[in-house]
Amino acid sequence: MKDLNFDSKPCEWVREQLDAYLSSELLVETTAAMLKHLEGCAACSAELESRLRLRDALRRAVNQQLPPANLGEAIDRQLRQDRPALFWSSGPRHWMLALAGLALVVVAGSAAKQALGLRRGRQLVAKILTLGVSDHVYCAIRTHNYLRAGRPADQLQARLGPEYAPLLPVAEQELPGFEILEAHICTVPGSPRKYVHFIALGHGTILSVILTRRQGEALPGEARLVAETVDGMRLYKSHLSGMDVAGFETNNYFGFVISDLGQNEVLHIAAALAPALRNQLDAG
Amino acid sequence: MFSRPLTRVDDFEAAALPHLAALYRTAKFLAFVPAEAEDLVQEVYLEAWKSFHRFEPGTNCRAWLFRILFHRLHHYRRRQLKLSKVESFADPAAADALPAAQAVPQDLRDEDILQALARLPHDFREVVLLADVQEFSYKEVAETLSIPLGTVMSRLSRGRKLLRQQLAEVARSYGIRVGDEGGPL
Repeated sequence: MKDLNFDSKPCEWVREQLDAYLSSELLVETTAAMLKHLEGCAACSAELESRLRLRDALRRAVNQQLPPANLGEAIDRQLRQDRPALFWSSGPRHWMLALAGLALVVVAGSAAKQALGLRRGRQLVAKILTLGVSDHVYCAIRTHNYLRAGRPADQLQARLGPEYAPLLPVAEQELPGFEILEAHICTVPGSPRKYVHFIALGHGTILSVILTRRQGEALPGEARLVAETVDGMRLYKSHLSGMDVAGFETNNYFGFVISDLGQNEVLHIAAALAPALRNQLDAG
Repeated sequence: MFSRPLTRVDDFEAAALPHLAALYRTAKFLAFVPAEAEDLVQEVYLEAWKSFHRFEPGTNCRAWLFRILFHRLHHYRRRQLKLSKVESFADPAAADALPAAQAVPQDLRDEDILQALARLPHDFREVVLLADVQEFSYKEVAETLSIPLGTVMSRLSRGRKLLRQQLAEVARSYGIRVGDEGGPL
C-alpha cells in the first residue's frame, strides 16, 4: 500500500501512481486525493481511461479462452481414482476396501503412466521441433541471412552443394505463391548440427523449410501426438517461440516448415512438401 | 472454527473446481507449449488433492492453487529452457526504453490483444496475468511467484507499458488513429 503527498507536481505524482491506483493498492486517503486531482485534470483522466480500457480489454480477451469441455470430467475421474480418503476408512469390511484400494492403485498407476507417456511424448515432439525453430529464429529472423531480392537458382544450388542441390526444384514446386530467396547449409552457434535451409517469401511473411540429419532421435509414434498423416508420413505441429512449426521425419532426416502463418497453414504446406522431399532424399 | 482436515473428494472439488477456468487460462498463456496447459492443470489438481488435508478451510483456495500452478510452471520452464537454445524475442530491458505513454486505440480485436500478450517477455506476462486478469493483489502475486513486492510493481508497470506499445503499433499497422501519444509530462 502507498500513501503519497500530492501537494507538489500533482500530475507527475498522479501518473507515477496510476499503476498502483489501477491495482487498488493505494490507501483510501490517497485514492481520494487522486480522484480530486482527476476531476480537474483532463489529461490525467484521459490517461487513466486509456489504462482502464487496456486492462478491461485484456481481461475480456483472456477470459474468453475456455478450457476444453472434458477437462473438469478428466480431473474428477483422476481425483476419484486417487482418493486418499478410502484408505482412512475402517470397519468390518476393511479387507474388501483394502483390495478395492489396491485395484484403484493399479488403475491409477496405469492412468498416470499413460498421462506421463503422453507428456513425455509431447516434450519430445517439442524438443525435436525446436531444432528447426532454433535455426529459423537464428538464421532467418535474427541474423536476417538472406537477400531481399533473392539469388538466381544456379547460385542457390551452388550454395547447397551437389548433395542437396536437387532439393531446390522440389521446394520451388511445392511452395506455390512463395519465392525462394535463399538456400544454404547453416549452423546455430553452440551446436555442431548442420541444417539445409530454404528461406522463402510469400503471403506477406518469411517461411523456412529446414532439414537436418537425425542423430539417433525419432519422433514418437503415439497417435494422439500426430497432427496429420500424409502418404505414410506422420506430421506434427506446434507453436514454439512465437512461431508455427510443422515437422516430419524421413529415414535419415528431420524436416521442418516454420513461419508465423498459423499452425494449420504451416501444416498444410508441410503436407505437400514432406512426401516430395522424402522421395528426393531417399533417391539421393 | 472447523479445524478437522477435509478429506472427501466432494469437498475438495467444491472448493477447487470453480477455479479450473482461471488456472487453465493462465497456464495456456505461460506454458512453453500451449498444449501442455491441460496436463499442467490436471497435475495441479492432483497435487492439490494429495495435500488437501493440509489446506485450512476458509483460507484462499484460489491463491493456493495458483501457487501450485506456478511452482510447476517454473519447474517445466527451467527444464525446457535447458532443452531449447531459443531465447525470448523480446528483451525485458527493452521495456525501459519505451516511450512513457502510448495511447490505447479504441478498436482492437481480441486476437491482437492476445498476440501482444503472448509476445510479452515471460516474467512480465506472468505478473500482468496475475495482477490484471486474475486480480491478485501485489502481495499475493509476490507470494505466488516468490519474488519481492518491488519486483512485482516494476514488472507490472513495464509489462503494461510494453503491451500498450505493441497494441499502438498494431493499430497503426491497421491505419487506426491512436490519437495523442501523450509522452512524458
